[in-house]
Amino acid sequence: MAEVMLNIAQTLILISIVFGILRLILGATTVDRVIAIDLLTIISIALIALFAHHAGRFIYLDVALVYGLLSFLGVLAVARFLEKGL
Amino acid sequence: MIEMLIILLCGGIVTSGILAVRLESTVGAVVSAGLASLFAAVTYVLLAAPDVAMTEASIGSGLSTVIFLYAIRKTRGED
Repeated sequence: MAEVMLNIAQTLILISIVFGILRLILGATTVDRVIAIDLLTIISIALIALFAHHAGRFIYLDVALVYGLLSFLGVLAVARFLEKGL
Repeated sequence: MIEMLIILLCGGIVTSGILAVRLESTVGAVVSAGLASLFAAVTYVLLAAPDVAMTEASIGSGLSTVIFLYAIRKTRGED
């Protein structure tokens, strides 16, 4: 049962990476691309956490934690830049 | 399945590199360069190098994007 759920999660992550990259390529405005980057960051955190379970090495969860703390900063900087505040 | 994810992430690195070169908008190019760094960090994790991935995530994707945007604002002041 758990293996089935992990396979489903891997498939969903794969499909959503494809759609995120498509939005990044087709994105009409800059804001669309920034949102696509935010989406892909969250998907990447989920992927790292899933791989930590898959490999059985829970030191990988620290990478996901650092990434979750720092990726917020990039989107915040772009938002401040677009509003001419940076 | 993990191999397919690695191939997809490497394709994402190539795609975002091409976008970073060819986009007209400066902010879009900076953001695409950050995405290349993000996918590189995830690929490092999948290739069992978590310390390299942590450094790449903090410097490549976090700090360099902010410094690029700050430099663009200081030098040109428009989008």
